[in-house]
Order: sequence, then structure tokens, then C-alpha cells
Amino acid sequence: MTSETGGNAFADATQARGEAFIEVTDVDKFFGDFQALKDINMKVGKQEVVVVIGPSGSGKSTLIRCINRLEKHDRGRIVVDGIELSDDIRNIQEVRRETGMVFQQFNLFPHLTVLENVTLAPREVRHMPKREAEDLAMEMLERVKIPEQARKFPGQLSGGQQQRVAIARALAMQPKVMLFDEVTSALDPEMIKEVLDVMVKLAEGGMTMIVVTHEMGFARAVANRVVFMSDGQIVEVGTPEHFFTDPQEDRTKLFLSQIL
Amino acid sequence: MTAVNARPNSTPNSAVSWIKVRLFPNMASGIVTLLLLPVVVYLAYRSFLFVAINGRWEVIQRNLTLFMQGTFPRDEQWRIVVQLILMGLALGFGTATALAASADRAREAGLPFARQRPWQMARRFWPLILFVLVLLYFANTSAPWLVMLVALAVIGVGATARFLPTRLRNLGWILMALSLIAGFQVVSGTTGRSWLATATIVSIGVWISVRLERLETLPRLAAKTVLVALAAAVVFGIYTFVTVPGIGWDRWSGLHLTLWVSALAIVLSFPLGLLLALARRSTLPALRALATGYIELIRGVPLITLLFMGQFILGFMLPAAADPSSVTRAIAAMTLFTAAYVAEIVRGGLQALPYGQTEAAQAVGLPPGKTMRLVILPQALRAVIPAMVGQFISIFKDSSLLFIIGINEFLGVRSLVHAQADFRSIAHAETLVFIAFGYWAFAYSMSRESQRLERRLRVGL
Amino acid sequence: MRVLRVVGQIVAVVGVFLLLRWLFGNLIDNSRRGGISLDFGFLNRPTQFQIPNAPDFNPRSPVWQMVVVGIKNTFLASVFGIALAGVLGLIIGISRLSQNWLTSRLAAVYVEFFRNIPPLVIILFFAFAVFLHGPLPNLREAFEVGFPGTSHNLFIFSLEQWGVPSLADAGNLGYFGLAVAGGLAVAALIWRWRTRVHDETGDPHHRVLWTFGVLFALLMVAYVLLGEPFRITWPTLSENRRRLIDGFAINAGFISVAGALGLYTASHVAEIFRGSILAVAKGQTEAASALALTNFQRYRFVILPQAIRIALPPLINQSLNLVKNTSLAAAVAYAEITNLTQASIGNGRPAVPSIVILMAVYLSFSLIISLILNVVNRRIQLVAR
Repeated sequence: MTSETGGNAFADATQARGEAFIEVTDVDKFFGDFQALKDINMKVGKQEVVVVIGPSGSGKSTLIRCINRLEKHDRGRIVVDGIELSDDIRNIQEVRRETGMVFQQFNLFPHLTVLENVTLAPREVRHMPKREAEDLAMEMLERVKIPEQARKFPGQLSGGQQQRVAIARALAMQPKVMLFDEVTSALDPEMIKEVLDVMVKLAEGGMTMIVVTHEMGFARAVANRVVFMSDGQIVEVGTPEHFFTDPQEDRTKLFLSQIL
Repeated sequence: MTAVNARPNSTPNSAVSWIKVRLFPNMASGIVTLLLLPVVVYLAYRSFLFVAINGRWEVIQRNLTLFMQGTFPRDEQWRIVVQLILMGLALGFGTATALAASADRAREAGLPFARQRPWQMARRFWPLILFVLVLLYFANTSAPWLVMLVALAVIGVGATARFLPTRLRNLGWILMALSLIAGFQVVSGTTGRSWLATATIVSIGVWISVRLERLETLPRLAAKTVLVALAAAVVFGIYTFVTVPGIGWDRWSGLHLTLWVSALAIVLSFPLGLLLALARRSTLPALRALATGYIELIRGVPLITLLFMGQFILGFMLPAAADPSSVTRAIAAMTLFTAAYVAEIVRGGLQALPYGQTEAAQAVGLPPGKTMRLVILPQALRAVIPAMVGQFISIFKDSSLLFIIGINEFLGVRSLVHAQADFRSIAHAETLVFIAFGYWAFAYSMSRESQRLERRLRVGL
Repeated sequence: MRVLRVVGQIVAVVGVFLLLRWLFGNLIDNSRRGGISLDFGFLNRPTQFQIPNAPDFNPRSPVWQMVVVGIKNTFLASVFGIALAGVLGLIIGISRLSQNWLTSRLAAVYVEFFRNIPPLVIILFFAFAVFLHGPLPNLREAFEVGFPGTSHNLFIFSLEQWGVPSLADAGNLGYFGLAVAGGLAVAALIWRWRTRVHDETGDPHHRVLWTFGVLFALLMVAYVLLGEPFRITWPTLSENRRRLIDGFAINAGFISVAGALGLYTASHVAEIFRGSILAVAKGQTEAASALALTNFQRYRFVILPQAIRIALPPLINQSLNLVKNTSLAAAVAYAEITNLTQASIGNGRPAVPSIVILMAVYLSFSLIISLILNVVNRRIQLVAR
């Protein structure tokens, strides 16, 4: 049962910022007999920052991976910027061009330099000339504050640096929405801040973001909306203040008591 | 575009959809299917013709004894029969003890343990069972059937070892070892060289003691060493002074010889390879250089050159009185060859083990020898089991080289078969297919077991 | 305790030395007693037997020439075997990963069959069941596959030899060679030009099409201008149908060894390719997909570069295995070095030096391949902290 108390906040978000940019309607997802997503309904507006929290196994990663078709949803509709996700590879490629994803394990390409990692997709997918792509890449690397590492290989960088390169790599495709899948969970504590700082700046710059994370501080700072998921369902939606001052559902209260 | 049915079509669940997804997922794949299908059907058809209708399989039927035991004297065949039965006993003891030991460990850890029913084991080893059935099909008399039934019954007898209490678990292994040795003896009597037999027994002892990681105090270690030495002396003495007639292994041939040569090479190469690996990591540069030199030399040359060395050179290197038989030289060459590869495999396992293990052992005060024996080696050896089994499969296949130096093992007896007037120029394909099938049945089974072990160990680790 | 260990090691070294000294002492004594030489003087003596299919060789040629022929044949069989194994193994390895059930199952059957039988059995099968006593006719009644529309033969199949078309000089082959060299230089330039265009404008480079297209066109022009500098010779049987003239004759022994070893090693190579592709972490595929790279781009830029790094060391190892396995030709009539050494010893040549030379040959191959492996390993290492 979804409790939309912050129900007003939800309506406000879409109305204030215009048309829903991402629409997830009645989505189910099965892994064999196990149902990972149950009847998910969610709308994300332009320039909204949505933070998804929940215990492990709640389906939060599965949800955002369905949005760029790394997982295939079994029922329902997912529409990104007017493009509906289907089995048609052209739809999928279009959606992937508009979405950028950053992974928990960074997944940088170890055999390419940092610069090559960032310029690969713009050159091969958007057919950018080399110099233009490299200028764009350096601009992105400066945004994440590591332009001096451009010629190094990922293996030479720390975890925090690698994750920032991963963010730059996703940004280089100039996506309309950025998806973050627990991007700080694999980092040592002293490196989490540098990554979160980059994400905060991105949010302040107006990027549409869906962030799966445990970092409540980040949610409080920049999230427009927080979505709490458990057992494959959206349990509660609201503003960050709502969550931290007056959560409604029992499951929400239990989860928050464990992490706050 | 919503899928309206009750369950999503994540897996194709009907024959038609299976064909569509698996055979024609896209245009290119569909064309490939259409091209391959007639080829496959044609090949299957020709194979069926060859196996069932056109093949001159009487060449196997009339020479089955040759394939199985080669030129072993016919009137002493009862020895092989008894050996087969004793092998069945050993198999029973061995598998029962191994399964019971796993069950013990699982029970102590509180993990579930699924007992394998006999028919599940049968399904696991279907290539071997198929091979045995093919052999029985070609048999001319009912004697092989009888022997097979007795052997099966005897496996059951051995399997009662699982009722041994846990404290006496090692008794099961000892019974298995004794059955193996008895089986060997029943055929060879004391005509085998005594020191080789002693070497085999010592090797089995090393195998067992690597398993028995319970050497605690120096007196107990000393006692064990004394016991082993005493046993070796007794065995040596028996061989020197007692004469029991038998057929030495230089007169074995056929599949019988192939299996024994492979087994002996495997058993003997393991301790030697282990020592070489440790020597290669030794702190003493001379020892390390010697071991490295040996390993690189052996790994750089093909097995056949070592077999040649054994045939032509070994005789000159030993005093004139010692004249080892062809088979002895071959086994020595194969052992020395395999030991180098085993050494490299073990070295890989030792290197892969994190140094933290050694540090932890030192931190609790274990001396270096015990560290190696109790902490490092068990982990390293367990980690390289798949690679080891791969090497054992290799040596089993390489035993086919023996016929180049004139020893008639399983592949070699085909020259005897085709020396007969009836089969001089026909049925070559049939004999080679049969021989290939025999090798394949054993090697494929070993390979599958190794993959299975690999999967189980990865879960455990 | 440490003293004990050091003493134990010293004892081991001394023990090994004494053992070796005893063995070699016996060797020298026994040889001297038997009047058998241990030196390499026999290399200059005549071989006293003929090597089949070696036209420059006769029984009076010195033994060292025999060794050279043996090494050459070992090398030839190895090169062809490795080439066959590489191509076939790549196809089968990738087929194993195919979504098409038929291709992946066939590939699996191939691998599980050939991996588990001794290579010697395959060699013997070719030698005896396909060639010597097989379904093929002997040379006199050889099976000729004609080139449709002409009176030439495309292939000739027989028990002893197979004939395939070959190239022969018809005049200006030297100049044509120059044209080829020039063409390759131009092709390299075209390749760089197209790459630069791609870098500067982002347009697809199509460099493979451009390069090969230009190369082909240039060679065609050169062919016409030089007035047919080479011609194709078709395999033909001689007048008395006893020999193959023209074309290129491949011997049954060579096909048995190189073909059988190629088929056998391909099964290992297929597993190496398959394993190396699977070993590239799943996250790499996901990251590439998330960046909207197509399947082809994903393989080309992300998966294959990493898979090749993983696959190279075991592939080089398999090449070494194949070279060593050519020694199995000692069981059939292919005159590589092991076979010849065995024949030579059978003809009375001293065994010890012969076998030393034999092992030295293989050790040299082994050393060269190990060096290649080391160089390759160093070049492909991924840079890490």
C-alpha cells in the first residue's frame, strides 16, 4: 500500500516541474519464481532528484536497471522522455543514449586510459570527432575534479577517483537523466565525501537524477523526493523532511530506525 | 505493449517458442540453423549406418580378449579375474569411506548432506557404464557377465565400510589400499621388482599421511617413521626371500596395462612432484636451481623423447646387472615426466595462497614444517584439484604412446589385431573407433567429475 | 629446527649430485665397454636410408642433413597445425557461446569429444582409416575433382597424396612482388588517412573496406600491366599416372599429422577462447550497454581487448603443446625429427647423442616460444598500482 503523504509533495513535484520525464506504470519483474518488483508506479519530473532507499533485496537496484533495460520488466510500461521501453533494440539504444548510469563497482574499462574511457561512447555512439570528444571529456573530468588523471589507467586510481571517472564517463554522453546504483557502497569512508560532493553539484546544476543509496545526508541535502521500497513494493513516498520527522508506515519506521 | 498473460514469457515454455528462441532468434542465426541441420542429420545417418549396419564389428568381437588383456597368458587369466574382483572391493571401500567422511564433516558443520542413491551415481558415470555394456555385448561367452555380476556384488560388500564408526574412518582407507595392493599382487606375484613395489607402498603412505594431518608430537612422528621403515623392510625382505609365482608387469598388455600404467604413474608422480615444487621454492639456491632446471627441461620436451631415453639410454646408466623391463622403464619415464607438471601445478597453488595464511600460522607459533603441512599444503592442494585431475587425464591419454616403443597397451594391440591375416587391411576404422571410445569413456568421466568437484569447492570456498 | 632444514636441503643437493655422477659414470663406462661412441662425429656419416618425399636427399647424405630435414618438417607441421587449430578453435569457441542451440551444442560435442581422446588415436585414424586402408583410391585411380567448365583439376584425392592448385612464376613475378610491396605501403597510408578522417570528423571510417578495396584494385592493375606475372598450376597426374605434377602435392603423412593435431588442439583452443570471453567481468558488459554501445561495438572495444589479454598465455602454451605433439608422427610415415631419429637409431647410429640432439631441438622450440610468451605477457599487462 502506498502512502503518499507527502502525497502533496509528489503532486507538487510533477506540477511544478512540468511533464513527467520518466513514467513507470504497473511494473512487475520476476526472477524465475521470485517477484522482485510488485506493481511499481512512479513518475519522475524534469530536474527532479529522487532518492530511493530500502533494505537490500527490496528491488531498488532492479528498478533503476529496468529503466535503462539492463533488466527487462515483465509487465507494465516504462516510458523515458516519451520513448517506451520495448524489445525493439532501437528503442533501447535511444533510451540508453538519454540515460547515464553509474555502478557500484565502477566498471571502468581497465585497458583504456581515463580519457579513452570517457571519450569512447561519444565517439562511437554520437560520432563525435576525436578532438571535440576529448575537449568534452576534459570538461567532464574537470567537473568531477580530476582532470590531471586523464592519461592514467583506471588501475592506478583510488576507488573514489575511479567512481568520479565513472560519473564523468556517464556525463560525457550528455544524458537527460542520471541513474546512480549505490555508487558509494564499495568505497572507503574517506572517499565517499568526494563522490557525494560531485553528485550534489550535479543536482544543484539541474540534472534529473534517480539515486539508490544509503547516504541519508545526501538525501536531506538535495533530494526533492524520497521513495522507500521494501519487498519489491513502493511503501512510502515523501519529501526528505517528511521521512525524517514523520514517517507513516511501520516498515518505514523500522528501516529508518536501523539506519539513522 | 503489455504482456497480458498471467506469467511473463521470461523463459520459453512451449516447443514452438523454444524453437523460435533457440534456433531462429534472428535472421543470421536462422540461416545458420538451416545450413547446419541437414549436415547434422546426414552425419547422424552415416554414423548410425556405420555403427549398426555396415561396421565390421566382428573384428572387436573376435579380438576382445586381445583388447582387454593383450598377450597375457590365457591360462593365467584367473589372476586378472580375481584382480578385477579385488578392485571392485577397493572401489566399494574407497567410495563408501569418502562419502562417509563427507557426511561426517557435513554433520559436524550442521550442513545438509544429500546421500547419493546408487542410480544417481550410475547416471553420473554413464560413459563408463556404456563402455562396459559395449564390452559385454561383444563378449563371446557368458563368463564376463558372471565376473561383472560378482564384481558388482563385491562393490556392495566394500560399501559396508560406511558403517564404520568415525574414529575408525581411516580403517576404510587402509582396507582400500590393502585391496589395491592385493589386487596388484595377485597378478604379479613377486616377479615385480621389490624396490618398485616398496616405492609404491611408500607413495601410498605419503598420500595417506598428507591426508592424516594429525601428526602432533615428535615421538609420534618418530614412531610413524619407524613403522613405515619397518613395513618397507618387511616388504623388501619378503620380495627378496619369498617367491610367489605370478606374471610380472612386463608381460601385461592391452587395456589392463593401460589402466595400471596410468594409475602407477599418477600415484608415483604425486609425491615426487610435491617434493619438486617445495624444492623449487626452497631458500637454498642450489636446490632451487636443480629443481627449476629439471622442471623446465622436462616440460620442454615431448614425452616420447623421455620414453626413448628410457629405452635406449637408461640401460647404459645402470650397472649391467640391473636390466629393467620395457614396462618398468616406461613407467619410470612417465612418472618423471608427470612429476614435473604436477610440480608446476602445485607451485601455482602455493603461489595463489595469500601470504596472510603463512603469517597467521606463524603468529600462533607454528614452526615452518607444521605450517606447510597443516595450513599451506591442504589449502593449496585442494585449490588445484581440477588442474591435477586434468594432468591425470593427460597422462592416461599419453599412455597410448607406449606402443611407439613396442609395448602393446590398449592402442598398441591394434597392431596385433591387424597383423592377423583376416584383418590386415580392413576394419581399421572400426578398431580405432572402438579404442577412441574406450579412452573417451574414461577421460570424459574423469573430466566431468573434476568439473563437479570444481563447482562444489567453489561453493565451499 | 632451522639448522635441520638447511642441513636437510644440503643433503638433498649433495645426494642429487652423487646420483647424477653415478648415472653418468655408468653411462661412460658401459659405452666405452661396448665400443659405442658418445660424441657427435656420427653426424657426418651417411644416413643410409632414404627419406620419402625429400627429393634433395639420398642415402649418402650426411646425418646432419637428415636432422635439418627433420626440423624443417616439424616446423611445417607445427605451423599448419597451429593455424588450423587457431582458426577452427576460434570459430568453435565463439559458437559455444552462441544463442543458437544447434551451434552451441555441436560445438560442445566437438570439444568434449576431441579433448578426451589421445591425439595419437586421431593421427592413426587419419593415417590408417582415411588414408592407408581407407576409402580413397590409390594414385593411379585418383579421385579428380574437376574445375567446372575447364579441363583442369581443382583437387586430386588419393591414398598417398592430395593435390591442390598452386602458383607458378610466368615471367614477371619479381616485379609483381614489388607491386605487392608497394600496394601494401599504399594500403597502410590509406588506413592511416581514414583513421585521421574519423578522428577529425567523427564519420565512420570504413577503413577495412577502403584499404582492402584499394589494395585489390592496385593488384588487379599490376596484374594486367605486367601481363599475367604468375599463373595458377592445377594438379595433374603424370602420363603414367604414377606421380602428381603441377599443382602442389601434400603428403598423406603431413595431412595426418598436421590435420589431426589441428583438430585436436582446436578443442583446447576453443575452450580457451570461450573461457576468456566469459572471464571478462559482467560489469564490463553492463557498463558498455549502459553507454548505448551496440553489440558489435561492445565486443570490439570492451570485451575482445580484455579477452585476448586473458587468452594469450594459454594459447601460446597450446602452441607449444602442438609442437611437442608433432613427435607423435613417429607412429606414422611423416619424416619429422622424432621419426627420423628413431629410424636413425634403428640403423645403428649411437643412441645417446641422437637423443640429446632430439631433445635439444625441442628445447629450442620450447625456449623460443617461452620467450615469445614473456614478451607478450609484458606488453599486454594491464597497468595497475
